[in-house]
Amino acid sequence: MVQFLVKRFIGLLFVVIGVTFITFVMGYFAPGDPIYGMLGLHFTRAAYNSLRHAYGLDLPFWQQYLNYLHNLFTFNFGLSYEFKNQAVWDILSRGVPVSLELGLWALLLQLLIGIPLGILSALKANTWVDTVNMGVMLVLYAIPVFVLAVFVQVLIVWLDQTTGIGWPAANWGAPWQYSWSDIQFKLAPILVYAATGVAYFARLSRTTMLEVLRQDYVRTARAKGMRERVVIYRHALRNAMIPLVTVIGVTIGFLVTGAFFIENIFNIPGIANITLSSITYRDYPVIQATVVLLATAVVLGNLLSDLLYTVVDPRIKVE
Amino acid sequence: MDTRKDQGQEFAHSAMLPSSTGLEPDLAGMDTAVGIPMPEGGQQKKPASPLQDSLRRLRRDKRAMFSLGVIGFFVLLAIVGPLIYQHIGGPYTSNINGVTYGPQDYHNYYHEELDRLHELPNSQYWLGTDEIGRDILARLMQGILISLAVALVVELVDIVLGITVGVLAGFYGGWIDQLLARFTDLMFAFPGLLFVILLTGIFGTAADDTFSHIPVIGANGNARLLLVSLALAFTAWPLMARYVRGQTMQIKEQQFIEAARTSGTSNTRIILRHIIPNLFSIVVVAATLDISATIVGEAGISLLGLGVQAPGSSIGLMIADASQFVSVHPWEVMVPSVTLALIVLAFSFFGDGLRDAFDPRSKD
Repeated sequence: MVQFLVKRFIGLLFVVIGVTFITFVMGYFAPGDPIYGMLGLHFTRAAYNSLRHAYGLDLPFWQQYLNYLHNLFTFNFGLSYEFKNQAVWDILSRGVPVSLELGLWALLLQLLIGIPLGILSALKANTWVDTVNMGVMLVLYAIPVFVLAVFVQVLIVWLDQTTGIGWPAANWGAPWQYSWSDIQFKLAPILVYAATGVAYFARLSRTTMLEVLRQDYVRTARAKGMRERVVIYRHALRNAMIPLVTVIGVTIGFLVTGAFFIENIFNIPGIANITLSSITYRDYPVIQATVVLLATAVVLGNLLSDLLYTVVDPRIKVE
Repeated sequence: MDTRKDQGQEFAHSAMLPSSTGLEPDLAGMDTAVGIPMPEGGQQKKPASPLQDSLRRLRRDKRAMFSLGVIGFFVLLAIVGPLIYQHIGGPYTSNINGVTYGPQDYHNYYHEELDRLHELPNSQYWLGTDEIGRDILARLMQGILISLAVALVVELVDIVLGITVGVLAGFYGGWIDQLLARFTDLMFAFPGLLFVILLTGIFGTAADDTFSHIPVIGANGNARLLLVSLALAFTAWPLMARYVRGQTMQIKEQQFIEAARTSGTSNTRIILRHIIPNLFSIVVVAATLDISATIVGEAGISLLGLGVQAPGSSIGLMIADASQFVSVHPWEVMVPSVTLALIVLAFSFFGDGLRDAFDPRSKD
């Protein structure tokens, strides 16, 4: 098992280094000189040179990259180009808790809603419950998350105007606070954010559950006269979980790209929105930092999948 | 969002299975080529080729055929629609500048009529107008055209790159196979759209500035669109290459390849004449399934303001513009959203149908 994990870990480290290299190269070759942008129209050569030196932009390519890597490992993301004297981390630290909250709730809901729905469909396979459920999940999965967000917004506006309940269609409450108004703000974005993952887990857990229910050991358990509940929850469900665990990493990938659309449409001040506004300002250090952070989240998700995999499937330890 | 990965999961097992369709090389054709005399009168039916078999299965799939109809409708709408729409309607005198415009002007996707804002569907503007008085139907048709054009470019690059690398990796193995494996690992662990956002965000404006003097490719913000397409293709091709590689490795072991080799056929000829034609079904299915992801990708990038820019139109741009007025003019945001949902659903249902038709065993 240790060997398996070490191997996976090295693979993922390789991914992170690859990502830092790509983002660095893009920032390095990015058009425009940030120092000109900072100094405005009137400046002396000396001021230009000293500022360039302060940002480390006068160093050769490889040295800049090594500095950048070194800074990353010490969680120092450098200075912003757009907001003078502000560290990148200060800018990001406003958005990170928001995005983290959004993401964790969405991940939790995906599992808590998606898996039971899939199991339900598998147990009621080929009845109308299954057909309707899987039809909805198929549409939910195929529809882009931003289209779903728009539909939900229109629905909220319509409900709001017909009933006058004063439900907000956008914006975000205080991070990690759950007063009634916070919940009003947060409910819709989180549900929409989770929708793709819910559909993904529902469809996958239906397939795996059906597969497990066909296995001999389930038939044996039934033949022994065990109660159906025990057969399903003890024998079938546990085994159906194995493939589900491995795709958590995949759904974190959905969440990372989904964040850009959810935060954009619902106007949530998270890390993806910061990235987008940094793109308009051409604030490359901020962009690089967010991309590395988001990619690391995906990589950690994959690692988590691997770890859980060794927990749920003891066979991996033997290898 | 990133549907490609899921397709990887769901589609992979069917890709790895020996396909019942693609593998037999035109046996029906070979009989006649060798010159076995057909009985006089020719009453016996020729056995259906695997391709005909698959198409027959596809035609019986109601959902897939309906989706194909929807796709056909949108393709026609995007290509022929503007030509017709711009000839319908009488002259209209603007209250802003007193100029009289014909339908070829006010039914154009970039024409602004500043005193006709936020209109609901009416006889002049069939789907109403947006926040600066542009015709929503005209913008929608242009947006669909952009989506389809991007999908076309992306799938072309995807297919060419995917087949080239996939066949080389599957046929020869070795370092190219290793490189492909590492690269696909990287791409699967890294969300593709994030890469596209990064690339278009940093280089979009520069691409427009640099290539704007080149006709067609650079004009009207097409350079940026090309950048978006190439970025999307770059995230799409590793999956295609992986399918092609798997299929190639399977075909390579078949007896007809052995026969070709025994008769002294060169590797190049084996690849070109025997392997690539047999990849047809898997490539078509994978490319069709990828189209929805591509269309969503372009719309998403434009929605974030990184793709198609203002006078141009894209479904994503329309959603972004209209979503600011969602509480007062929900109609304007619903039109592009529903259209995009329909297009995406149609392509995924049709892709699913194709997959089932070409590889019946992949059905659960």
